[in-house]
Amino acid sequence: MKKLIIIGILTLSLLVFFTACGKKVKTEPVEKPVVKEVVEKVVKAEKPELTEEEIFAKKSLDEINSEGHLKEVYFDFDKYVVREDAKSVLQANSEWLISHSSIGFVVEGNCDERGTIEYNIALGEKRASNVKKYLVSLGVPANRVKITSYGKSKPVVKGVDEASHQKNRRADFRIVKK
Amino acid sequence: MKKIYFSMIVLIIFMLISTNLFSQKEVVIKLKDGVSHIPIAIPVFTLKNNSEKNSKYRDIIHKTVWDDLRYSRVFQLIPQEHYSYIQKFDQNNINFKDWSSIKANILITGNVEISEGDRIVFSIKVYDCNSEKFIFGRNFGGKPEFIRLISHRASDVILEYFGEKSYFTTKIVFVSKRDGNKEVYIMDYDGKRQRRITYNDYIELLPSWSRDNEKILYTSYRKNNPDLYMFHLYTGRTELLASRGANISADWHPEENKIVFSSTKDGNAEIYLRDMGTGKLKRLTFNRTIDTAPAWSPSGREISFTSERGGSPQIYIMDAEGTNIRRITREGSYHDSSAWSPDGTRLVYVSRIEYRFDLYVYNFKTDTTIKLTEDSGRNENPSWSPDGRHLIFASNRNGRYQLYSIDYDGRNLIKLTSRGENETPDWQKK
Repeated sequence: MKKLIIIGILTLSLLVFFTACGKKVKTEPVEKPVVKEVVEKVVKAEKPELTEEEIFAKKSLDEINSEGHLKEVYFDFDKYVVREDAKSVLQANSEWLISHSSIGFVVEGNCDERGTIEYNIALGEKRASNVKKYLVSLGVPANRVKITSYGKSKPVVKGVDEASHQKNRRADFRIVKK
Repeated sequence: MKKIYFSMIVLIIFMLISTNLFSQKEVVIKLKDGVSHIPIAIPVFTLKNNSEKNSKYRDIIHKTVWDDLRYSRVFQLIPQEHYSYIQKFDQNNINFKDWSSIKANILITGNVEISEGDRIVFSIKVYDCNSEKFIFGRNFGGKPEFIRLISHRASDVILEYFGEKSYFTTKIVFVSKRDGNKEVYIMDYDGKRQRRITYNDYIELLPSWSRDNEKILYTSYRKNNPDLYMFHLYTGRTELLASRGANISADWHPEENKIVFSSTKDGNAEIYLRDMGTGKLKRLTFNRTIDTAPAWSPSGREISFTSERGGSPQIYIMDAEGTNIRRITREGSYHDSSAWSPDGTRLVYVSRIEYRFDLYVYNFKTDTTIKLTEDSGRNENPSWSPDGRHLIFASNRNGRYQLYSIDYDGRNLIKLTSRGENETPDWQKK
């Protein structure tokens, strides 16, 4: 309905503009503000209707993932226990997950290159599994969490120093359902 | 095209089986590890209807046969330079005393002929220089595109005559990142004719051959999870075998229609047996720690695998039913990727010491272990040649991961790949 009015006003103003062309310049400034006002009103009217949830719903999975709501956690060499420094990260992750109850996600376990392909797949899976268990203990429903492992085939850094290895010994979070 | 190729392979397999029946009795006489090699001479092959193209064919065949037989560790090849000390080779008038004088026991001659329709006919004749006798001769033929296959087949026949298991026509499956993504490739045993098999644009891992060499088992992340697939080489069909949890390291039973593999479907990495006829699964390990990388013994009665049950990844063996588990590796804190030698007497595995990975071979008979690779980066995923004298593996000794071949005693290291990064080779069992 509103759209029709806008289109009506627009065409009217265009008509006025064209007929006015060549006659007097003075008519223009009178018409323009009318259009502006209407547009502003429409925008104002729509904005309050969008809740936070609705904005979230409009985003794609890729957009949500790129916003980094869920922080990765790191592991010790050859180990799959959840470290102390990871616990606070997982606490924050769990809070976000609990307040966004529609989210479904995958925990992806990764390893550094100093392990065999076969063993690292199992090790990465153990890391993901322990992260899942910890999140569940913090109140995240288990049915929202899936786990997988990339072993050493998905490093984020190529280096051979300990700092690089540390970055690769991690569990990532990938949101797959919103 | 595919049909021709397929029928050739069927023919070759048939020939392999039939010739192996013959050679079984002779195994005893010839060679064991450490026995001196048989000295052979292979003069340049003669060529009917000489032309530039034909002599090129002749040279390819000669070089391929030469390289095959040298690689075998069964023969000692008398260097070409020595042939100039004696009279020029004449097929119609062979002077065996000459060949004996340069220490050749066996003389292998060949003739290459390009018949009408651009068909290569390659004939070999094998002579005993001491008794000055013709031993046997054979003809091999095919289109020029099969020139390497023709050459390898001739090498196979020669090797088989001396009572050895032939493997020059076998292939290796592996993973390469050369096209930007980990995909499955196959190549000839000598690293030639490398070609891509999968086009998934996802990570593919740990491919292995079915026992009929017509299918490849591998893990793919095409659904964002390490699922186990089977690819049918001759139909292009792909079957999903296991998709719950991480599913890797499939190994086909030596005779029966079943595989073992590792899966985390029950919440922890365990070893499972899958009947390929019925699809039925049977769990073999029951342990809260990691159990992975299973490999059948050649008899099919035992399975080696990696387990963390003792606190760190070690190599264990169990009976095929999952019972009678015993630990093989005693020293060191990290072992994986075990594979049985074809005669079942040895087990190769990867051992990590100070972040270096090296290959070790454990001998069941002597209860001894030898180190195969030395101080050279990470050496991983070994696979035996069908005759047990060679192994192929991946190594980053020169920076990027490439495939290498090494002999059972750590000699004759050969680099087989150079494009991109290459890993996890699996050599056909026959």
